Amino acid sequence: MTENAIPIKSEQDAAQNGSFVVEMVHLRKSFDENQVLRDINLVVHKGENLVILGKSGTGKSVLIKCIVGLIDCDYGTLVIFGEDTSRLSEEQLIAMRKKIGFLFQSGALYDSMTVRENLQFPLRRQERSTPKETMNSLITEALENVGLAKAIDKTPAELSGGMRKRLGLARTLILKPEIMLYDEPTTGLDPITSKEISKLILEVQKTYNTSSVIITHDMECARLTADRIILIKDGMCEAEGSFDELKNSPDAWIRSFFE
Amino acid sequence: MEPRIKIRSITREKLEENFLASVFGKFFIEVTSLALFTVRFFKEVWRPPYELNELLKQSFLVGYKSFPLVAITGFIIGLVLTIQSRPTLAKFGAVSMLPAMVAVSLIREIGPVITALIFAGKVGSGIGAELASMKVTEQIDAMQVSGTNPFKYLVVTRVLVATVMLPLLAVLADAVGLFGSFAGVNLKGHVSLSFFFSQVFQSVDFNDLLPAIIKTFFFGFAIGLIGCYKGYYANTGTEGVGKAANSAVVFASLMVFIIDMIAVQLTSVYQY
Repeated sequence: MTENAIPIKSEQDAAQNGSFVVEMVHLRKSFDENQVLRDINLVVHKGENLVILGKSGTGKSVLIKCIVGLIDCDYGTLVIFGEDTSRLSEEQLIAMRKKIGFLFQSGALYDSMTVRENLQFPLRRQERSTPKETMNSLITEALENVGLAKAIDKTPAELSGGMRKRLGLARTLILKPEIMLYDEPTTGLDPITSKEISKLILEVQKTYNTSSVIITHDMECARLTADRIILIKDGMCEAEGSFDELKNSPDAWIRSFFE
Repeated sequence: MEPRIKIRSITREKLEENFLASVFGKFFIEVTSLALFTVRFFKEVWRPPYELNELLKQSFLVGYKSFPLVAITGFIIGLVLTIQSRPTLAKFGAVSMLPAMVAVSLIREIGPVITALIFAGKVGSGIGAELASMKVTEQIDAMQVSGTNPFKYLVVTRVLVATVMLPLLAVLADAVGLFGSFAGVNLKGHVSLSFFFSQVFQSVDFNDLLPAIIKTFFFGFAIGLIGCYKGYYANTGTEGVGKAANSAVVFASLMVFIIDMIAVQLTSVYQY
């Protein structure tokens, strides 16, 4: 750890095994010779917004893809809702994924479907017996929550960047996840829309009582949404603290993120 | 808590880590990876949920939408084959054999193979490009995250539809091709439709039709599987989409000829 950096508390926290929804112990991941995650130790508390900051290529996106199971880690332990994911069967992993929402950087909208069908798709997969009326009201409610009710019959190609992000968020929230993972939610958006998305993230936390992990390079988004921030450097957690603590850190490298 | 190494299954990535160094290794990776993909298909195909809506949608897109192209191609092949064969048969005074010769050629070989090649070009490349583009834009990841099995939803449905639709299209192409042949016969002479088809049915029997239809199931399966495989494992980026579509057509067309060669050998053993 960098001299004068705010110490990592996660490792001690992990040992206590309290109200954590996600716990990572000595997590490592390499792609060929490139070791992206060297030794990640962190926890996500229930109901908190954890923001992860770091330079590009330091493995932030890989880290949240490990949480949701899109990437298998090479070494270490990943515990979600108290269950070691390496001991779960494929069916148990699928059941666990249903409790985790993921907002992709690109939105990852199904471009052959309309806005309505994008929301219907995950609902139909999970609740095949849901009556049509219930499904329609859930879709309307999800779209109203993100301010997209009028775009219900449009296709993703007809939506702006901000609307696509909001639709991606609505599609994730319709399944009422307990953990939300945001992969650079404000990238490519203008400052006003970015602020709207940041406020939406806070609303989601309050309305759905979710725990969130937010990967971002947008300091305004981090300031608005973070209960706690972790800085990643060279595939390891370098520092941890609140926005103000890190901003006023004596360490020049940490401060450089906030200047 | 004791950290431990986790190896869930053999994956393409794990194979690449070990064999990327040599060309032989790359070939081995490709073949092994395709074999694992095929095994996975046969595992997943029996497991619920059965994606009936997607099966119907794909049947419409793959079957119905391909019919005009296949029909036009079949008609032209029947017409051209008749016109080209007439001078040779005339030399031997066997012009009356024209309907029989064209029918046997069309039904046994040209109809199924040409339909399969058209199908590989239209459907194989389409599947490859669609899945590759879904991978590039993280749509496949989004499906996985929402608790959907993308292999089941995207791959199993498309391979099944391709396997079932190609034989139907081949039969339709044969039928339309015979009408093309009838038109070709009538360009230089006059033959009634009933006489033409009585000649056709006299020359074609069950042993011509059955092997030809059976091999189209294998053609369809190979085209669907290769299209899905190339798309599912496409490299990221727009270049990856183009490569997936291109290699799906090339590889699927090659497989059509290889399967055809094997089918002809097997049929020869069975018939003679």
